[in-house]
Amino acid sequence: MRKLLAMVVALVMLCSVTSFAAGEETYLGVMLLTNVMSLDTHLATDGESFEVIADCIDGLTQMDAEGAAIPALAESWDISEDGTVYTFHLRDAVWSNGTPVTAADFVFAWRRIVTLNGEYAYMFDTSVGCVKNADSILYDGADPATLGVTAIDDKTLQVELEVPVSFFPSLMYFPTFYPINEAFYTSLEEGSYGTSPETFLSNGAFVLEEYNPGTASLKVKKNDLYYAADSIKLAGIRYQVVGSSDNALTAYKTGALDVVSVSGSQVAAVKKDAELSASLKVTGAGYLWYLSFSQTEKNAQGGMLANANLRLAISNAIDREALVEDYVLDGSLDTYTAVPPQFAASATTGEDFSADQDRFADYCGYDPDKALEYFEAACEELGVTTFTFTMIYGSNEGDEVAKVAQVIKAQIEEVLPGVTINLQSMLKAERLDKMQNDNYDIALTRWGPDYADPMTYLGMWITNNANNYGFWSNAEYDQLIRDCTTGAYITDYDARWEALLAAETLVMQEAVIAPLYTKASANLIAAGVTGIEFHPVALNRVYKNAEIK
Amino acid sequence: MLKYILKRVGLALLTLFVIVLLLFILVRIMPGNPFPSERMNDQQIAMKRAEMGLDDPMFVQFGRYLYKLLIHGDFGNGTSLYYGAPIGSVMTTCIKNSFRIGGMAVLLGSFVGLLLGICAALNRGKFLDGFCTVFSILGVCVPSYVFLIFLQYNLASQTKLLPYFFDEARFMQSSVIPVISMSLFTMSTIARFTRNEMVDVIDSDYVHLAEAKGMYGSRLITKHVLRNALIPIVTVLAPLIVDLLTGALVVEKIYGINGIGKLMVDSIAGEGVDYNYVLALGILYSSLYIGIMMVVDILYGVLDPRIRVSAKGGDR
Amino acid sequence: MKKKMSKTPVNAPAENYQPVKEDFRFLSQQDITVDRNFASQSYWRGVAVHYFHNRRAVIGLIIVSLLIIFAVFGPMMSGYSYDEIVKVETVSSKGKVRMKPATMIAPRIPALHELLTGEEYDDAFKDEVFLFGTDDVGRDLWTRTWYGARVSLLIAFITIFIDMIIGMSYGLISGYFGGMVDNVMQRFVEVANSIPRLVIVSVLAIFMAKGMGLVVVALLLTEWIGMSKIARAEMLKIKEQEYVLASRTLGAGNGHIIFKEILPNTIGPIITQVMFSIPTAIFTEAFLSFVGVGIMLPQCSVGTLIEDGFNNITTLPYQILPPIIVLALLMLGFNFVGDGLREALAPKLEDM
Repeated sequence: MRKLLAMVVALVMLCSVTSFAAGEETYLGVMLLTNVMSLDTHLATDGESFEVIADCIDGLTQMDAEGAAIPALAESWDISEDGTVYTFHLRDAVWSNGTPVTAADFVFAWRRIVTLNGEYAYMFDTSVGCVKNADSILYDGADPATLGVTAIDDKTLQVELEVPVSFFPSLMYFPTFYPINEAFYTSLEEGSYGTSPETFLSNGAFVLEEYNPGTASLKVKKNDLYYAADSIKLAGIRYQVVGSSDNALTAYKTGALDVVSVSGSQVAAVKKDAELSASLKVTGAGYLWYLSFSQTEKNAQGGMLANANLRLAISNAIDREALVEDYVLDGSLDTYTAVPPQFAASATTGEDFSADQDRFADYCGYDPDKALEYFEAACEELGVTTFTFTMIYGSNEGDEVAKVAQVIKAQIEEVLPGVTINLQSMLKAERLDKMQNDNYDIALTRWGPDYADPMTYLGMWITNNANNYGFWSNAEYDQLIRDCTTGAYITDYDARWEALLAAETLVMQEAVIAPLYTKASANLIAAGVTGIEFHPVALNRVYKNAEIK
Repeated sequence: MLKYILKRVGLALLTLFVIVLLLFILVRIMPGNPFPSERMNDQQIAMKRAEMGLDDPMFVQFGRYLYKLLIHGDFGNGTSLYYGAPIGSVMTTCIKNSFRIGGMAVLLGSFVGLLLGICAALNRGKFLDGFCTVFSILGVCVPSYVFLIFLQYNLASQTKLLPYFFDEARFMQSSVIPVISMSLFTMSTIARFTRNEMVDVIDSDYVHLAEAKGMYGSRLITKHVLRNALIPIVTVLAPLIVDLLTGALVVEKIYGINGIGKLMVDSIAGEGVDYNYVLALGILYSSLYIGIMMVVDILYGVLDPRIRVSAKGGDR
Repeated sequence: MKKKMSKTPVNAPAENYQPVKEDFRFLSQQDITVDRNFASQSYWRGVAVHYFHNRRAVIGLIIVSLLIIFAVFGPMMSGYSYDEIVKVETVSSKGKVRMKPATMIAPRIPALHELLTGEEYDDAFKDEVFLFGTDDVGRDLWTRTWYGARVSLLIAFITIFIDMIIGMSYGLISGYFGGMVDNVMQRFVEVANSIPRLVIVSVLAIFMAKGMGLVVVALLLTEWIGMSKIARAEMLKIKEQEYVLASRTLGAGNGHIIFKEILPNTIGPIITQVMFSIPTAIFTEAFLSFVGVGIMLPQCSVGTLIEDGFNNITTLPYQILPPIIVLALLMLGFNFVGDGLREALAPKLEDM
């Protein structure tokens, strides 16, 4: 028996004392919240994937520290007088296999996107990018070759739009618009593009060093062939998917990772620790969390939530300040507007679209008395005094979601007598399914901006939009939005801005949604690490100016 | 014996077929959308469905799936998970990681568990027995991920002896922490079962007889006691092996291991329900399970000749 | 092994002759001696006497009873309800009066703290007692722990019941009859066990209301399998033993042999298996709650409390301790009770 025991001990010792290879000290250790789903621009849908793609591939433009579009592969661009033709002049850049980046690479990539018609293909259609003929290709099966993009020569790319799009250059840094080298792509086995370092080509600051689909850790290293290689200070980035906020904090404390994001009670712990709180950086994550109310007959006790007063009552019963200060904790902003603050600034005045959070104080805010007033009005109109609604939320959508759902339930039930909210957690996929099939009463849901314009939010509430989960419909609103996308206001920037504000007012007056808070990300960044740029839109983190001192 | 084994294998294949069919049907009626998109409109989703053949009658889909699987060994591609990559290749990496770590955990867990159980049984009522009881209770009560965090904190972060996250380049070192934490449940269960089985066997008449004949020490234990105690232990161990090989989900997630457990949860509890992944993993799991059960059945015969005799007869 | 009964008449040729019942008679007409002393003792009384002579078994019973008492009355003792967010009016830094929830407070007894340090707590909740602290929503963990214990005990008992009834009978029958019966029954187990539970439960959730009922059905579907395997293995081990043969020779029916003769001898491993399926059931329930088919928040169970605590394991370690300790005590108690029962039900000579 003793012999056996000795063997076990020896075995364990052997396992643990074997020598260690020294890790690459200069690589930046960065935490990812979820897996990188795909490095193919046509398939990627999540922020993590976009971030890694953008590390490796440059688009026509790139983001500066404030999120404005600055030249990247396009050295400069000309806009035709009517604003519908963009001509991009490409710089001399090469792919990581040595072939030059040409205008044809863009044409190939863009046609591929509209042909395959993936989740982000809509960035080309008239709701966003308005690239010529995109709608007819995407929805009517027209020939993808008719897409309004042409390679005039190797270094000149011409893009035709249906109507002028004021923010078009800033769309160009979104990964959906990135180029793919056709010769390389076609040399690969079908379906293998972007599944390993060998099947992925970079032209950006970094090249893929270690990756396979589903991996929890991946590495990118500096691309020496990058046209601005001199300005890249990092030797590489080591990404690690970290499952829990608690583990992220420990990993940061022990130096296993240099950049992590923490949430909930970990933020509280960080704030209590002087040393840690010094390296805390809160950045906007862009997501607006809101309550969606189903307004159709078949839900909510026969369409009770179609009553605007009832919705307003609920919206006014929620103490958003307590929500962010006592529960979410990570620096998220309590929000009282349908378009969240801090992501869309006016091009002419530079003022944030939602800077004034008190604009809708009459319709949205924490005011138990007003909530009761609305509630009494609703009871009178509906002839009912007790309501039981089910609120659905995703259990796999972040640590704080279940907490927020429970607190909202408590708040509503406390303020509004006769209202009972039953919580129903489910996986995100099921929640989406339920909402898309209009099979819910109230849902706790979120939306992240795809581009820096209020339209990314306001476009959702037009009649029959796929994201209009409440099935609200208002002719005046529809007209306003149409005027802003394809109609009267497209050439008059300020008038469009005003029209969007008017549209938002309509949404808020009727409490189509109850905005809750704008998610922030509480990041811990190791001492000596500088220059990482955080953005709430498109690319969450950019490392081109990052440095480890 | 050979005929018995062949019959057993044939039956296993038949069972597997039934399972695949059942799984196929169940997975397709699961709630949740295989294309969980917030940005595609109905028309686009309809196109995707048609492309994947999801609108065909179920038996046509099943036939196509089986054909692809049997003829080309092709599990298809993901619908909502790691979309680009073929499932076969994604799974291979995961299997490699999970099997290696799970295998080590099985070895460690069953070996130490057996040892502990034997020691406890031989020292019934003494300190070691009490220790074994408390140990096995803690081992099953405290989830393996709590042990993982504990080890991560103490071994990886305080002493920097081991990597904090899983690193394929340093496979052995980065296996230590997950292997220990995953093996504790098995260890506890096996220890407890061994102890109780041994106690029963030690009290039995034939052991008393063997003792009376002057047999003692390790020879008595291995020849008489252990052999008889082993059947229920093997039975308990078999499903534990399958569970360990197919990965401990939270351990894999926390320690960053790209394994089967993580893949399974991603495919059901991820953004969408990924039909093809759920199916592929279900087939993997059931083949493993059926395979191991088959081995156990055959092992029974080896461990206890009486069972072999009765299995052959089956005349009641 | 049962020999075919011959209907051959008595005057048949000698080489084919099979003895029949009528060929035999008792030598004497005396009654067979019956041990009246032994028979007069009630079986269950003997078990009880035996049980209560075992110190560990009694301790186990006390632990389990205490847990049950706390699970029933514990939530009432704190004065908070399990879903109540404890709030106190405070003045914020901006000078606004607001209700502050008691989130993330470590276990505290103000009187004791004052006694030990001579100081009061310097926050808004200096007068509140939180024996186990509060969670990050601001609810009393003492109340929630015992409320959760209530739910989990229920689940544990259901699991035991399912295990015992379905699993044991299934395994014993399958093992006893062997051959074709065993083959078919074992293949069914393989099918039942091979379909991921999450798939079954998700499909079931379409037809059933989510909640406790679904959890029970989900457990019912898979939890018995482990037990049936054990019971079958035990049966395979035991059925060839001499006493079974003896019983069969004496004409005992299959049912009698399985449940009266063999079952009591398999009780040891079966009880062990039951013990170990309790935590599995509790964690399964927690996982089901996570995917949204289990109990719904703000309700809780020991499993969900452990998972919640796990999210804050290094920052707020006190959150995970109470549920884990409750679970460990539950296991320890059941274990002692189980061992005691085993020894009381199948006493060995030397224990008597």
